[in-house]
Amino acid sequence: MANTTDIIYGLYNDEEDLIRAVKEAKSAHLEIMDVYTPFPVHGLDPVLGLSESRLHIAGFVYGMLGTLTAFLGMTWIFTKDWPIIFGGKPHWSVPAFIPITFELTVLFASIGMVVTFYIINGLGPGVVNPTIDLRITDDKFCIAFDKKEVDTSKVESFLRSSGASEVHSKTI
Amino acid sequence: MTFEFSGKLKTWLMIGMAVGAVALGWTWFNDDELHTRFWSNFLHNSVFFTGIALMAGFFMTASITAWAGWYVVFKRVWESISMYLVIGIPLMLIIGLGIIMHWHHLYHWADPELIDPNSEHFDKIIAGKSGFLNTKWYIGGTLVLGVLWILVLSMIRKKSIAEDAGRDATDYSSHYGIRKWAAIFLPIAGFGSAAMIWQWVMSIDSHWYSTMFAWYTGASWFVSMIAVTILVLQYLKGKGYYQNVTDEHFHDLGKFLFAFSIFWTYLWFSQYMLIWYANVGEETIYFKERVTNYPVLFYGNLLINFIAPFFILMRNDTKRKMGSLGFTAGLVLFGHWIDFFLMIKPGVLHTAHEVTGGHGHHGDHADHAVHEAAEIAHHGAGHGAETAVELGFTIPGFPEVCTFIGFLCLFLFFIFTMLSRAPLTGTNDPYIEESLHHHT
Repeated sequence: MANTTDIIYGLYNDEEDLIRAVKEAKSAHLEIMDVYTPFPVHGLDPVLGLSESRLHIAGFVYGMLGTLTAFLGMTWIFTKDWPIIFGGKPHWSVPAFIPITFELTVLFASIGMVVTFYIINGLGPGVVNPTIDLRITDDKFCIAFDKKEVDTSKVESFLRSSGASEVHSKTI
Repeated sequence: MTFEFSGKLKTWLMIGMAVGAVALGWTWFNDDELHTRFWSNFLHNSVFFTGIALMAGFFMTASITAWAGWYVVFKRVWESISMYLVIGIPLMLIIGLGIIMHWHHLYHWADPELIDPNSEHFDKIIAGKSGFLNTKWYIGGTLVLGVLWILVLSMIRKKSIAEDAGRDATDYSSHYGIRKWAAIFLPIAGFGSAAMIWQWVMSIDSHWYSTMFAWYTGASWFVSMIAVTILVLQYLKGKGYYQNVTDEHFHDLGKFLFAFSIFWTYLWFSQYMLIWYANVGEETIYFKERVTNYPVLFYGNLLINFIAPFFILMRNDTKRKMGSLGFTAGLVLFGHWIDFFLMIKPGVLHTAHEVTGGHGHHGDHADHAVHEAAEIAHHGAGHGAETAVELGFTIPGFPEVCTFIGFLCLFLFFIFTMLSRAPLTGTNDPYIEESLHHHT
């Protein structure tokens, strides 16, 4: 890879330790590069100062798009394009459209959100993401710092004092 | 901390109850000779609040059985709401007694001539249902199930309060007892509520039935119960109690309000669409009547109970803000009251027209046409078409709203009395710490 980053990171055994350490790092004005956890940790986002995801707004837009596609699509098909009488019902049978409208709303919202999520995060087929430490997918919680951004010795002492079980340096 | 039921609040609630009593009295004296409006208002509000109490008990026991912890900090509220059955069941028994004593003609099936094969009024459909639609089932079911519900729920409340009384916090024996009773309560409430909904509400339209009805009504009660919980908690929090009930708890209650509003709509729509699609006369008449003669309430029902909570509570922050959450809770509570109005009034009005031969209602010119239509539709179909707006029947009038206020104040008076009798938060519940640190 062309762009590599030298990082220093600490591994914690417990999510409570992690949150406490993140808070301490914030108050010590240490620039955290990223935090890695094996599962979503409640309350981590506000501590890290991350703003709320806007993905759900995109989801709402996709959902409305699905609603309109289904409803207007069926309206056009059954009244203009190819009107057929089903079971003696009027051509424009709103109750019969509702289930399909609902399904397309869910379909558009879910697929749209997944695709948006993948694009924003640069994910896709064939993309290889460097894993700092394999154990962060199992039972370790990791705080990583970019060595360019911080004073390495200060960070190392911080990581040790805040309860990290291991501290490593790596180039990714 | 124990809630102190202040004299000022008591006075206000008593005034509300007096308003309700005056409204009931007014309808009694300005009514047809069957007192149809009085009795249908009585039934409407009794069923509504009794169901809310039952659903509070049901959700509480479901949560206990699921080992849920988040609600424990305010579990006394659900315990208190569920105890309203002590008032609600007797009110339903009064309706049941009224069938035997011929105080009212709310239920079409209650007419013995309809099931007598030798009578000219013999009705094959109602006769076929008479094994279940009879006074023995109505009163017996209300009495037996009601007493069972009350006994189990008071057992749970008693044990829940005893848990706090100076016991060792590591002694979980009373909690195991609660868990056992909760598990016993669930099937009794689940199946029993369905049977009683058929008796209390669905049997008003005696010819008609729907297999979705118990679910649909139950969901309506459930949403109302969540709305009442939110409003009571907001009130108490505003008064300085329940400071340990945080935005996180309200957020979850808001989620339940949102989710079960959608669940209610799902059932409402499923019932509607299947009947609309199959297009069988005996079934569609139920909706035909409501769409034709109650269009404002019929579509307003969906607007208030689905569109409004769906769009207001969709966002995260509206569930956490007291204003938007409280507003939606109040709106939806009233909306489901309207929903019950729509379930009860058209059928009751129709039965009244049948019994009085279409001439009983005071000064209504449409009555004759109504009666004729009813006669035509009588065998097999069930309902005639109404054409005129009748205050109290096709739309809720001022006395209906006042009656609602009266019953609501009675309901709240009872809840607050129950709340004042025990500490608001149980200190020894095994899940209390989880609830205090609840995070959505």
